[in-house]
Amino acid sequence: MDIARRLVPARQAPEWRRLTSLSVVTRSPDPAQMPTSDELTNLLRAVASAADRPAFAVLFKHFAPRVKGYLVRSGTPAELAEELAQETLACVWRKAASFDPARAQVSTWVFTIARNLCIDNHRRHGDGAGQADVGIDELADAEAAGDAPDECLSTSQREQGVRQALARLPEEQVAVLRRSFYEGQPHARIADELGIPLGTVKSRIRLAVGQLRRLLDEFRP
Amino acid sequence: MIQHHPDDELLLAHAGGHLGRGPGLLVDVHLEGCAHCRARLHDFEALGGALLEAGEPALMAPDALARTLARIDDAPPIARAAPQEPGAAVAPIDWPAGVPWPRALQRCEVPRWRWMGPGMRWCRLTLPEQPAERLYLLRIGPGRSLARHTHSATELTQILCGAFDDGRAVFGPGDFDSADDQVHHQPAVLPGHECICLASVGGPMRFDGRIAAFVGSLIGM
Repeated sequence: MDIARRLVPARQAPEWRRLTSLSVVTRSPDPAQMPTSDELTNLLRAVASAADRPAFAVLFKHFAPRVKGYLVRSGTPAELAEELAQETLACVWRKAASFDPARAQVSTWVFTIARNLCIDNHRRHGDGAGQADVGIDELADAEAAGDAPDECLSTSQREQGVRQALARLPEEQVAVLRRSFYEGQPHARIADELGIPLGTVKSRIRLAVGQLRRLLDEFRP
Repeated sequence: MIQHHPDDELLLAHAGGHLGRGPGLLVDVHLEGCAHCRARLHDFEALGGALLEAGEPALMAPDALARTLARIDDAPPIARAAPQEPGAAVAPIDWPAGVPWPRALQRCEVPRWRWMGPGMRWCRLTLPEQPAERLYLLRIGPGRSLARHTHSATELTQILCGAFDDGRAVFGPGDFDSADDQVHHQPAVLPGHECICLASVGGPMRFDGRIAAFVGSLIGM
């Protein structure tokens, strides 16, 4: 954390931290220890502009264990998850210059990198039907052409909205959403493991997404 | 004006990286032309970022950072998102002027059009890594109708140009449709303009008529 303090000028108001009582979704260490979103952005900028290895080490310490945790939770064997987590962070280094804070927060950007590497890996090894990668880089060009203003949420509005929604949702909905969307478990298995009917899994996901959408729509002009 | 969009379940699965390659490509083609759905996809990716942030970290190997730095030294940084390879945007022969060939399809091999009835042509796109994926272009002349049918598995359709009415609604350029075994329809192309659709077919279509079923079986639909 010393490095982060040195690199990041003054601690700005950690806005998202105030807004989120992450208690519903987190079992991670004391949030006060976690770098803020602005700090992460500054660290990434230092990597992009000055190939700053100490800054990268801070990003690595923060994200690599989380990415590995994500991969293990989504069924990747531990050894491969270690490998892919390292590769994800190597990609963070290599692609640092293309990170655009106007489009996503660092954690969201890292999530998409990890997700796409995971898909690539599945495809290369021919297990599963071969998932689709999500054409984010290609979509960026389409977006540069100009999205309609009424569709545009600022990054901070979107990220805050999502965290507020997660904090407000009943735990049973967050649990189903996490298993289905984040960990990629089939609905039938979620129903089985939680001992609830399949229809309940689907309706909880629908409710959670509906609530998320309502909150985000409040931000949209 | 796009009227029909992929539903939340489909976009959520895409954002999580859980869609098959064919359905994922269909969604990507839709996203290219639909700012509304791009915003929805980004919402779900932000959800992924928030869950990553709040997720349980897994212990990395002791030498993980050193090994990642070694990976970085082996490969140079990527300055910006790589530009489109020149010459990659190969549309099928006889592609109508003024209709953009989707960027998401640029890696597909497109064979020549084949006849499947008066005023109706088709071709099957192949993906280099997933030759088994059932991805079709259908090109139906103005005023023509497809034979009445239902589906053995979910069929996704993205309208690239023209419009059809299947009794449920009119689908025009940029619209997206998902039809399953609950949908029994006979798409009729509106007069004045041919209609070209991209379809991802999960399983064989079930045609009412025997001749249509025979033709369908010949082309693998």
